[in-house]
Amino acid sequence: MTIEPIHQFNIEKLFKIGQIGDHAIYFTNSSAFMFLTVAIISVLMIGGAAGRQLVPGRFQSMAEITYEFVASTLRSTAGTEGMKFFPLIFSLFMFICVSNLVGVIPYAFTISSHIIITAALALLVFFTVLIYGFYKNGLKFFRIFVPSGIPIFILPLVVFIEIFSFFLRPVSHSVRLFANMLAGHIALKVFAGFVALLGVSLGTVGWIGGVAPLALTIAIYALEILVAFLQAYVFAILTCIYRNDALHPGH
Amino acid sequence: MARGFRLSSELIAGVVVGAGIGWGIDRLLSTSPFGFIVFFLLGFVAGVVNVVKSAGVVPRNRQ
Repeated sequence: MTIEPIHQFNIEKLFKIGQIGDHAIYFTNSSAFMFLTVAIISVLMIGGAAGRQLVPGRFQSMAEITYEFVASTLRSTAGTEGMKFFPLIFSLFMFICVSNLVGVIPYAFTISSHIIITAALALLVFFTVLIYGFYKNGLKFFRIFVPSGIPIFILPLVVFIEIFSFFLRPVSHSVRLFANMLAGHIALKVFAGFVALLGVSLGTVGWIGGVAPLALTIAIYALEILVAFLQAYVFAILTCIYRNDALHPGH
Repeated sequence: MARGFRLSSELIAGVVVGAGIGWGIDRLLSTSPFGFIVFFLLGFVAGVVNVVKSAGVVPRNRQ
């Protein structure tokens, strides 16, 4: 019996939707789960907004809680003017959070366990912040690279390091989400595999001994649900912070 | 844990990207190993800068 902890991340081609040059574009299981995620969010939000009751029902209060949560996070990091960015941050948060939570369901595919997805999201944030910063501040935007109160003779080095660290942001932004999801799911699979391995190789003693890894699996599962939410939150809050930095350079 | 992961990933991203850029420059300009050394250290420094920033040791928007 073999355990393949990586197998769950396989991209499977479901059907072909088009062709660019020699490269065929397929509708994959990843795309299917993205559609599922968007569908869940749409149902939650549209269904929540449909009733518009003064005393919210179940759906409506869920929608209101998510709205209030993201809105208050945004207000506390970026102030009221940050609400301009609410649609972007809310979409990012909901997409990552729901797709991660769907991903912890057994047999489901985790979209954000592929770095191309998280990198695309992080680059979206990066370029949005960059373009908006330039649009708002013009050339003053470059003051983000020049911290105030630095002696002139080490300024070039500091500016160079600041530029470097600015371009590191999308990398750490994307790798953080991707690595968390990947590592968590692999750990989950490996520990769950121990149960079956023990039982098959040692018989009854093994099945009884398998309780220990099973308990661990359950614990990790709980942790994974927490991480799924937390990573979406971290992604959203860092987006707020980056946006804030770009709008108020010269810190 | 989220905070720990956040900070460590900042540092790791810095070092890895720095090393990658250095390695690439070495390959392109055949300056091995100086590009690697310089950019590895730069990446380390930038990673530490990012860690310090995101840990909030230095207050943001310090005027």
